[in-house]
Amino acid sequence: MRNMVAPLLYNEITKASRTKLPYFGIIAAAIICVLTFVVTKAIASQETLNGWGYASLSMQWVFSDIGLIFVAVFSAMLIAEETSSGTARTVLSAPVSRWEFYLAKVLTGLIYAMLVSIASLIMSVFLGSLHYQFGDIADSAGLVYAKREVLANFLIAFFLSWLPLASTVLYGIFISTIVRKTGQAVAVAIGTIYLIDFTKHFIGIDSYVFTRYLGFSWGIFHQVAQGVDYQWLPGTWRMVAVSLVYCFVAFTLGLAIFARRDFNG
Amino acid sequence: MSSTNVALRLDNLCKSFGRIRAVDHLSLDVHCGQMVGFLGPNGAGKSTTLYMIPRLVRPSAGRIEIFGHNVWDHFKKAIRHVGTMVETPSFYEYLSARKNLKLVARLHEGVTDGQIDNILDRIGLCERQNDKVATYSHGMKQRLGLGMTLLGRPKLLLLDEPTNGMDPEATREILTFLRERVTQDGLAVFISSHLLHEVQEYCDNVFIINHGGLIASGNVKEILARHDNVVRVTFNGATPDCSQLTSQDGIEHAETLSTGSLEITLANRDAAWLNSFLLSKGYEVSALIPRQRTLKEFFLSITGEQNDA
Repeated sequence: MRNMVAPLLYNEITKASRTKLPYFGIIAAAIICVLTFVVTKAIASQETLNGWGYASLSMQWVFSDIGLIFVAVFSAMLIAEETSSGTARTVLSAPVSRWEFYLAKVLTGLIYAMLVSIASLIMSVFLGSLHYQFGDIADSAGLVYAKREVLANFLIAFFLSWLPLASTVLYGIFISTIVRKTGQAVAVAIGTIYLIDFTKHFIGIDSYVFTRYLGFSWGIFHQVAQGVDYQWLPGTWRMVAVSLVYCFVAFTLGLAIFARRDFNG
Repeated sequence: MSSTNVALRLDNLCKSFGRIRAVDHLSLDVHCGQMVGFLGPNGAGKSTTLYMIPRLVRPSAGRIEIFGHNVWDHFKKAIRHVGTMVETPSFYEYLSARKNLKLVARLHEGVTDGQIDNILDRIGLCERQNDKVATYSHGMKQRLGLGMTLLGRPKLLLLDEPTNGMDPEATREILTFLRERVTQDGLAVFISSHLLHEVQEYCDNVFIINHGGLIASGNVKEILARHDNVVRVTFNGATPDCSQLTSQDGIEHAETLSTGSLEITLANRDAAWLNSFLLSKGYEVSALIPRQRTLKEFFLSITGEQNDA
């Protein structure tokens, strides 16, 4: 029988493109980039901050706050909205298996997170290039990092930042499978993320929570941009491990719950 | 009917919600080329049964087969020729009717734009096809829900209160269309409805459930023919008391109509017997008009008996 993930994904993109929330998320991320630009321009000179440094700060701020909220809200709505409105019944009565429906939702969430991330990156680079230089990193003693090395680290930071973002998406979708009402699913997803984020330092679980790593790669890259020593490892391994564990657990639990759920009324 | 002709087979289907048994060892067959009514009072288990067929609700026990495929083992094969509308149809309200149909059409093989046009024409939504569904009336949404079930050229339709909220003209059009498809194309329709006169008029067979279990089934005409008759009696002079009549063996129910006549429901007796009985009791009968019971009367009597028990 025909695999339905691609048609379902096409449907998801069609639906998402006709709603306002995804656009608000991208606009909000762009506004954070602008605010970061205004603030850094006001407090840091071109001697103390370069384009790379501004871009890393901008990306950190986007995903430590507004970007995180929009990605979590979008993901938490994906299944809960279909369950509460009853449209899940319509789709699941067609020749569509539950795992295909679930996988299409996961892919939609991941694509949206990537879109917000790419839009933020483009906005940060564009704004950065208006006022700062994206060149070699040098200090009074001369060249510290060549542009090529900086660019490579910039891309590493960018792609690594998708891992904790993927954890956020899968966490949101997991909540979406256990809470049937859209508003409640959003409230639970955001509420629990912030509750854990605020308390993780006090109870000593900081290193084991995926939200800690949302700005991690950009933090390391900021050291590159400042021309100081940087060290990707072993912190990156921990980030990769924690993010993948969250992804796996949230995906598996969400799928198990969704596959066994009754859709009556 | 041969077993190869079976579109839908429920075999000892059970569903419990905690200690409540919603469906209790329900077995039935729906054959191709039949329009079958599925009746029962509120809470009898009709919707739960309809939810279980496309796997929206997991049965506690039993087996469901569609065109010979077990829905739990071969879901896609079983469901590919089934159109389902359970309870109130749901849509993406921020999209148009046409867009909603296209989204569902992508989940079926080989549905063309031309077929979507035909369906929109058939359900009478051509003029409003590009308006957002949020602006539609309840009846229009119901018609759109029915339209969705027709995507993918179904061979079996599972419909829960399909004409709910529709005006009489639209109801007649839709049911006549379904009846034609049943007769001409061999479509099987399993239809749950509280509008019993529709079921009586359009359905071949009927299954009646109460408390989750099957209490009556068969061909609609045969059921009504073999069960009790109703006789309207007009008297010259004194009219018998209804309570006295109902205590008589062979008379199930009697009530006085606004015209002064009595409507008497007979159990295993006919009008001739009633005439003799009334004359023997000294009543002068001026008119005696027998009529067959309606499905509604049969339904109320059979579900009433169950509930009394």
